[in-house]
Amino acid sequence: MPNKKKKIALVIGAGSVKCAAALGLWKVLQEAGIPFDMLVGCSGGSLYATGMAMGFSLEESVEKTKALWNQSVTEKRNWRGLASAILPGIFKFDDNFSMISDAPMLKRLRMVYDDKTFADTKTPLYLIATDLYTGEAIALHEGSLVDAIRASIAIPMIWPAWTVNGRRLVDGGAANPLPVDVAIREGADIILAMGFQSPFPSKIRSVSRYALHINSLITNNLYQANFAFHTAAHHAEIISILPDFDRPIKLFDTDQIPYVIEQGEKAMRAQLDYLKRLLEL
Amino acid sequence: MNTKNRLSIVIGSGGVLCAASLGLNKALHREGLTPGMAVGCSGGSIYAASIALGIDPAQIEDQTLTLFTSDVFEGYTSNLKSALTGETRFTELSSLIDDKIMYERLKAVFGDKTFDDTIFPLHIVATDLYTGERVVISSGKILDAVRASVAIPMIFSPWKIGDQLLVDGAVCDPLPIDVAIQQGSDVIAAVGFEMPTRKRMNSYTAVTTHFNGIYMNNILKSTFAFYNIAHHAEIIPILPEFEKPIGTFDTAQIPFIIAQGEKAAEAQIPYIKKLMSNGGLK
Repeated sequence: MPNKKKKIALVIGAGSVKCAAALGLWKVLQEAGIPFDMLVGCSGGSLYATGMAMGFSLEESVEKTKALWNQSVTEKRNWRGLASAILPGIFKFDDNFSMISDAPMLKRLRMVYDDKTFADTKTPLYLIATDLYTGEAIALHEGSLVDAIRASIAIPMIWPAWTVNGRRLVDGGAANPLPVDVAIREGADIILAMGFQSPFPSKIRSVSRYALHINSLITNNLYQANFAFHTAAHHAEIISILPDFDRPIKLFDTDQIPYVIEQGEKAMRAQLDYLKRLLEL
Repeated sequence: MNTKNRLSIVIGSGGVLCAASLGLNKALHREGLTPGMAVGCSGGSIYAASIALGIDPAQIEDQTLTLFTSDVFEGYTSNLKSALTGETRFTELSSLIDDKIMYERLKAVFGDKTFDDTIFPLHIVATDLYTGERVVISSGKILDAVRASVAIPMIFSPWKIGDQLLVDGAVCDPLPIDVAIQQGSDVIAAVGFEMPTRKRMNSYTAVTTHFNGIYMNNILKSTFAFYNIAHHAEIIPILPEFEKPIGTFDTAQIPFIIAQGEKAAEAQIPYIKKLMSNGGLK
């Protein structure tokens, strides 16, 4: 029987800074001469999936993330949002509510991706967001990259929802933190799935920290439930690449990126022989 | 094999909608089908516990009507304001509603009853606040277990059992079919609900409840999909239909909710009977 070429997908799940581990995985595959046929990103994973799909080099990707994702994107509190939560009658409260202003983040996203669209990517790319009203997972595959990333990383309550094609979208992690189903639907035979558990705030000292803590608990349970299903259903060969971190990596620990990449590299190396066997290399 | 455990009822989280399980219970009784086990999560734990204690269905209905009236939620708005402004410190032990009224009402129903007082095994699901892991409570005071299982995050304070600080079971496992499977049940009547989501978000509370609803609905779908495909047991979903949206604490709708639960259960009775007479799957 002729060996039909197997389609390989990389799925990078929600995990903020930890998603940089995908770069380590990528490094190993580049060395082995194995290209991706498809990239899927969710939440923080969408930043890296997009960089890879655009054909950025490893170094470029690291530089761009450092510029994109750091403490400064949260420096501007959304005072209006806060006021509307306290006095909804005076300051109009609507589904634009957020704790933090999205202006610094948008500015940085635009600096990196400008007016680029999905048509500009070298590898097919799917970015996952969640419909704010129905809770469905939405796979974005056309239109502006800035819009798609902005929607995919809109952590509930922290950043406001984002409108794409008339639909209000938030963080893909709310529907599917590790969207292997999108890769299955798009015809992938082998899926490298890199997923992460969300970290908890070290101390709960405010309502917003408490909300974040509960959000992490729920996301982790959603991640496990979803992944269990796709592993049991086995529509495609799913290889979990789970980097092991010996320290807590928080939402904006960008100085940990080199370590995170290294751990991603290690986790991929451990699975490389198996991947090669599947590819009959 | 212990055939007594075979048929179980699992009642998922869903606030006042969980009363639909009373309809299921009615339909089973009429057919002489006695469940061998009850599993409850969040609002469902109140009904699972009441059914397992053998409380008369009419009495359970009456209890529910008085359990979650609006005074249970007093103080919410002002507490939320002072927590958001930082006027009051908010820690993992804090809550936006004082649980006194709710606790008193639950106490009036369950008193000092323990899991040993039930007529068949009862399991109640809560979530470890720190790790997010599922915690199954099968012994001790029922009041403690129910109070832990209904501790909606931020709204009610977590509840301590042993060394563990516990919150709402819906955070980890909104429809705990897995507990019934682990306990040896192979015919599972599962009453599950999707949380209501909002069409308009005009307050902080609306946004937080909306997001929790979205997440929990997605967990519910994933877990349900997993247990259907893994097929460790025959799972019979009992999904009552409500033509109008019913708020989480809209107690006036309880008679209607029970009737819809009974209707949904009746549709599945022939299948449950067939499974029970076949000797099941094993």
